[in-house]
Amino acid sequence: MKVTCNDLERILRDAAPEERAAFEEHAKTCAVCAEELRSWNQISLAARELYEEWDSPALWPAIRRGLAGQADHAAEARSNWGWLTGWTPLSFGWQPAAAAALVVVLTVSAVWFLRPMPRNPGTDAGNTLLKNDALREADRAEAVYVQALDNLTAQAKPQLENPSTPLLASYREKLLVIDSAIGDLRAQAGMNPSNAHLRRALLAVYQEKQQTLEEILEAKR
Amino acid sequence: MGITGLALVWETKISYFERSQERRVENPLPSTTGRSAGASPSTEDAALAAACQAGDLAAYERLYELHGARMKSLARHLLGSRHDAEDAVQETFLKIQRAISSYRGQSAFSTWAYRILVNSCHDLRRRHARRRELSESETQNGNPAPEPRGPGAHPSLRLALERSLAQLPGRQREIFLLYEVAGFAHAEIAAMLNVSEAVSKNTLFQAKKVLRQILEPPRAAGRPE
Repeated sequence: MKVTCNDLERILRDAAPEERAAFEEHAKTCAVCAEELRSWNQISLAARELYEEWDSPALWPAIRRGLAGQADHAAEARSNWGWLTGWTPLSFGWQPAAAAALVVVLTVSAVWFLRPMPRNPGTDAGNTLLKNDALREADRAEAVYVQALDNLTAQAKPQLENPSTPLLASYREKLLVIDSAIGDLRAQAGMNPSNAHLRRALLAVYQEKQQTLEEILEAKR
Repeated sequence: MGITGLALVWETKISYFERSQERRVENPLPSTTGRSAGASPSTEDAALAAACQAGDLAAYERLYELHGARMKSLARHLLGSRHDAEDAVQETFLKIQRAISSYRGQSAFSTWAYRILVNSCHDLRRRHARRRELSESETQNGNPAPEPRGPGAHPSLRLALERSLAQLPGRQREIFLLYEVAGFAHAEIAAMLNVSEAVSKNTLFQAKKVLRQILEPPRAAGRPE
């Protein structure tokens, strides 16, 4: 497997074992890449030293008292209010219906995006390059999916702009991380448009964004 | 910041990829405490979950024996103080007990417990947002106490790294701590933080890029494009 200096960032981000081994071999003959790997490794090495342990003789007894007290309280609550446990309130509004409709659109788009790409006869099973027609199909499907995600984002925007609960604040932070990952993967895919692995990784992150937005809309109910 | 700590003698150089493969197990159980004789980590994990669901306090104690030290270390870095870390661990165990009936084996029991720990740290950090605690490494006159020399990294790099972590965004710091300090695999981190492995890997990469820029400014030439 041939790797070059241009593969450094991709290797550091995520690489199969054989790719890593190939890059280590490359680094033996490339001072620049060797230095990059060394610096990267230094951070990991220093991080290991951050792990710290200390004695807390009073901690477990405190935890045990809390657990015992909580268990006693729960047992008492069950005996007093056990007849209520089967009751669950239901309420519906128009927002879940709209979210459900968007989920259908996204699911159809995802199926289109994931459908098997046509293979040319004679290519081996490991060939991950997308041919021109398949590439155009993937681009079109991605555009539809992104548009559907944007619509879902617009629905969730009011809750995210001014999160009223810690849960929504957490969701907003999660979406920032996901969007950052999408940006990086799209940049990578832009440089390597025929790389099906990158496309699949990008789809996985899109799907995660979809799931997160659905959870936000669900929390809104 | 001029860097003095990134130089290593050749004898202590570790292959990057050898190091990255260490301690990455799907169901990590610390080797410092005893395990049931002949039990695999996943078997003991499942047995522990079942016992906790049955309300066995001894199972919670076993969970503490297995993971308490690691939980405290992780919480210490997420919250900045040992006292808050112990509060977070205590709160975590109470939350585990309250939520135990909702555990359905969707991930390893230990992974589920650490997820609760991370959320507990979030909650505690919000409640104590204005709280500041003097670093336990500081002397009374405010100067940092000398760090004990570790077997690997240069002490000044370790100190610089710990201070640099505070400059990372919350999620990047979390994933960095979970992966590089606590030794979790990306699959476990993904389950804990409810993100995909791709996001976990990408966020770790971004975190290390930022840390590298803080700890070692880019050189003028010779860097690959």
